[in-house]
Formats: sequence, C-alpha cells, structure tokens
Amino acid sequence: MITTRLIRLGLIVGFAALVPAVFVLLAGQSLWRVLTTLVLYAFGPQGWSEVLVHAIPLTLIGLGVAFALRAGLFNIGGDGQFIAGTVVSVFFAPYFGGLGLVGLLAFLTCGFIGGAALGALVGYLRERFNASEIIVTIMFNYVAVQMVSYLIRGPMADPMPFWPRSYMIPPDCILPVLVPGTRLHAGLIVALAMVIVFAIIQHRTVFGFQSLVLGANPGAAIYAGFRVKALTVLVMAVSGGLGGLAGAVEVGGLYQRIVDNMGEGFGLAGIAVALIARLEPIAIPFAACLFGIFFAGGGALQRELALPFPLVWIVEATVIFAVAALHWALPDRKVAA
Amino acid sequence: MDLVLITGILAAGIRLGMPIALAAIGESVSERSGIFNIGIEGIMLSAAFVGAWGSAGTGSPWLGIVFAMVIGLLLAGFHALMVLVLGVNQFISGIGMVIFGLGFSSFAARLTIAAKPTSIPGLPAIDLGALSNIPFIGPILFGQSPLAFIALVLALAAGWVINRTAFGLEIRACGEGDEVARALAVPVNGRRTACILFGGLTAGLGGAYLSVVQVHAFVENMVAGRGFLAVACVMLGRRRPFIAFLSSLGFGIAEATQIRLQTIYPDLPYQFLVILPYLAAIVALVIGHRNVERSA
Repeated sequence: MITTRLIRLGLIVGFAALVPAVFVLLAGQSLWRVLTTLVLYAFGPQGWSEVLVHAIPLTLIGLGVAFALRAGLFNIGGDGQFIAGTVVSVFFAPYFGGLGLVGLLAFLTCGFIGGAALGALVGYLRERFNASEIIVTIMFNYVAVQMVSYLIRGPMADPMPFWPRSYMIPPDCILPVLVPGTRLHAGLIVALAMVIVFAIIQHRTVFGFQSLVLGANPGAAIYAGFRVKALTVLVMAVSGGLGGLAGAVEVGGLYQRIVDNMGEGFGLAGIAVALIARLEPIAIPFAACLFGIFFAGGGALQRELALPFPLVWIVEATVIFAVAALHWALPDRKVAA
Repeated sequence: MDLVLITGILAAGIRLGMPIALAAIGESVSERSGIFNIGIEGIMLSAAFVGAWGSAGTGSPWLGIVFAMVIGLLLAGFHALMVLVLGVNQFISGIGMVIFGLGFSSFAARLTIAAKPTSIPGLPAIDLGALSNIPFIGPILFGQSPLAFIALVLALAAGWVINRTAFGLEIRACGEGDEVARALAVPVNGRRTACILFGGLTAGLGGAYLSVVQVHAFVENMVAGRGFLAVACVMLGRRRPFIAFLSSLGFGIAEATQIRLQTIYPDLPYQFLVILPYLAAIVALVIGHRNVERSA
C-alpha cells in the first residue's frame, strides 16, 4: 500500500517537475539559472512585494472560484467578473470623491456588486434555462473584454487620452501603499479580510453549509428542502462578486483607472489557485502567493533571460494536473471536487 | 440585401465556422460516450501552432495538418489518461488543458515561428471547375477548402457510426449508463478512450484549419473561444454530430455577418458587433438547452 502510494506520488511530482523543465530546456536555458533567477527575484528586495501584489487579486478570485466549486458550480468567468467590477466601481467612483474611507468602501462595494450582478445572471440562466454555467461564464468573458475595450475608448475614456484608458478615480478611492518604495497596497488587507470572512461563511454559517451540501449531493440539498435555485443564484453572485472586488482592488491599488488588458489571465489562474488550495479558504492566500511567484517571477525571467512569459501558463496547467491527480496517489484523503 | 452580399456572407460563414464545426464533430462523439472535453480550446490552440510550425518547417500544408492531428491525439490521450485512469474530474482536466494549450502554443511560437519571419504555405481551395462557377451555390459550396469536405464527411460518418452500428450502440451505452454497459461486457474505458481520441483528432484538424487554411499564420490565442463555442454547439446539437456541425456553421455565419456589418456601419463601435457570436451562443444555450438533462 505504502509503496504504491509513494510510487504514484513520485510519478506525479516527477511529472510536475519534468514538464516545465522540458520546456525550459527546449528554450535553450539552463534549469539552474532559471530556478536561481526565479528564487532570487521572488525573495529579493524588489520581488517579494511584487509577489504579494499579484497574490492579492488571485486570492480574491481564487476564493470566489472555490466558493462556487464547493457548491458544484464551475465559475470560469473570473476574467469577465473582474472586468465588470472595474467598470461598475470606476463608473461610480466620481461620486465618491471627498468621502474619505466611506468613499473607498463604497468604491470597493461597487466592484463587488458589478461582479456579483454578472455572476447572478449566470446563476439565473443556469437555474431558469438550464444553460451550462461553464459555457455561459466563458462567453461573458469575451463579451466583457470587448465591452470594456469600448468603454475606455468611448464613454469612460480619459479626457486626455494618450492611449486607451479610462478617466482617473478620485484620490479617496485609491488604496494607499503599505510599504513605501513598493507597489504593495492596502488591497492586501482587503484580501486577507475576505479570506477570514469566507472561512467563517464556509464553515460556520447556514449559507456556507447549504452551499457545501449542494455541491456534495444536489439531491440531498433538494430533499432537505433547501431553496436550491435561489441558493445557486446567490452562490454564483457571491463568487462573481469576489472577482469584481478583485477588479476594484486592482484599480484602487495599482492603476487608479481602467487600462487595456488589466488582469488578463487572472480568471484562469484563480481556478488554479482554488484547486491547489483544495477549495479551502485559509489555504488560498498561500496558493495565490505561489502563483504570485510564477507571475512576478515569469516577468523577471522574460526580462533577464528572454524566456517567454507563457511558460507561466505551462507551469500553471502542470500544477493543476498534478494536484488533480493527487487523490489517485492518496485515495483516502478528502479531495475536493 | 442583395444576392452578392448574401453569397459572400454564406461562403465566408462556412469558412469561419469550419474550425468550430470540426471540433464539434469530435466533441459530440466524445460526449456521447459520456466524457466532456472542455479542453478542446487548448487542443485547438496547440494544433493551430503545431500545424503552422509543421507546414512552415516541411513546406507542405498537408504535413502540417498531420502534425496538428498528432498533437490533438496526444493531448486528448492525456485527457483520457487523467479522466479514465487517474479518476480526475473531467472539467478540471479540461481547464488544465485549456491553460496548457495557451501556454504551450504561445511559448513555442515565440521560440520558433514568431521569432523570425516565416511564411506558412496554405491549403488552396480545390478547383471543381464548372461547379464553382454556378451562381450563388458555386462560391458557397464549391469554393471551400478540401478540409471542409472532409469535415462534412466526418460529420455524416460520425452520426452513422453512432446511430447505425454496434460500435455506436456501445458508445451510446457508455454515455447513458456505464453500469449497464459494463454489465454487458462493453469495454467502457476502451470505447471512451477511442471517442476522446477522435475528439482530439478533429479538434486538431479544427486548429490546423484556423492557422494553415484560414489565416496562414499563427497568432497567439487565435482560437479565441472557438473551442468553447464548439462545446456549446454540441450542447445545442444535443450531442448529434451533424446537428452540432450545422450549429457551428451557424456561428460561422454570425461571425461573417458581424464582420460585414462592421463595414456597413462604420460609425457603430465594432466591439458591439464582435460580441454577437458570443451573445448568440448564450442565447442559443438559453433557448435550446431547456429540456436537456443537466450537462454540468
């Protein structure tokens, strides 16, 4: 038994190490150099804060994906909900000028509402018309990308556009920088607060419990008399809301406006984060930091070694496969989904 | 609308819908056996790159297409391994495949064909002589690439195999209740593997169609959701290959229409037109998927 498990575990770890290594070698780079560059950057004087900066939106989106997946719903719409969050929050931001902390909270709430509206729509379409939430969320991603592209060139454009971007949000809506000299902003606090909130919702509330039952056994949820349709819409709304919050946080903390292609790929990475954390809220920030290392480090590898950034996606996919295959090696462990 | 415009839209629509259609044929067979592969987006991307790279390297578009089919088979085989042998959730494996395809195709392209100017030999339309000159029908039906005819044959053949042969009956049994199939000594995993591999093969063809036949280049993320649209078409076609094939062409025509509309209404922001096929997919799922068993 033990040896079978060890062999299987070894196969999985070997696979996870081998695939990225092969691509690094194909690119003509030395593995050692790539690894040292990555590690030195990620834990170096500039890199550590960049890792955390990337981990902030990934934590929020990952929490959302995990919350939906616990309820048996595949939310692949992180990118679209992120965009919806940026649009709604930036749209209302001018009204929040001069309100101080209240304005900032209202700004972030608007981001949540934007993502939640899109998520709720997906949940409604699934419950009312049986439309697969997987396909619908993906389709909305493409729609959202085009819509934001229109908005930042049209109605929401910068009054003095040098390149496509929206107008600036008022100073009250800006998340302050936590460590001077870095880009690390107060979004970190928002993300960690959400981790705690969702750990409580997941494990200590009726809503969290009902969503778990819905995911583990939909039949039992119906039989227990849960309002499954409303629950589905609500879970998708909350999940989307976290994606939207990530969008508002990214605007408030980094860009102060909507720019082209911001947050691209965070939706897919959020799925990876949720899966690696085994859908456990407390584990999500750690998984997000791992991907923060890949994202920030991937940029460094591209700059310093000319190693193409898409290597990050290859690593991400490999990690997803490896983590998903873990319960083949360790069958009695509780594995989500 | 005049006839020339309609002819143009239909001919272009079939061309634009063909990558989706090819992928949808295989996916409907795979789903008939009970296995979803939402990773075909990633398989198509990988195949689009490998097809372009292969045809640039060998100078032969047909060899490029063969390379693309091989990568499609390999990646689908990996999906089969994950789902059937390791017991991984099929949607999670699919998402992994999407991300892998995105990474692999962009990474490899930047190291090879995108690093230096490369010409990619394309596949010309077959010359059917007088047939192509028939007004209206000629350009629509006979001005297409040979792959389009292969797709039509594949769609009809897949439907025939599923509905009319013992092998197809076994596939349907696997998809509708694998316990019954097991009880009847149908090798469930074997049948499913075959169906998943067929899905990878046609997704590979679809990706190659995009890069080798249509664009004559590889552009990063060029599949742009066509793999997901193919999955939507399979839902719309209720897993019948030929209906899925036709729905895909419908999306192609929607795409061709929106491109024409961009030139007809230059004042309208193009973004509102670009989203039409994606919105059409959502609307179609809402209308068409009502009474089908839950798919996810």
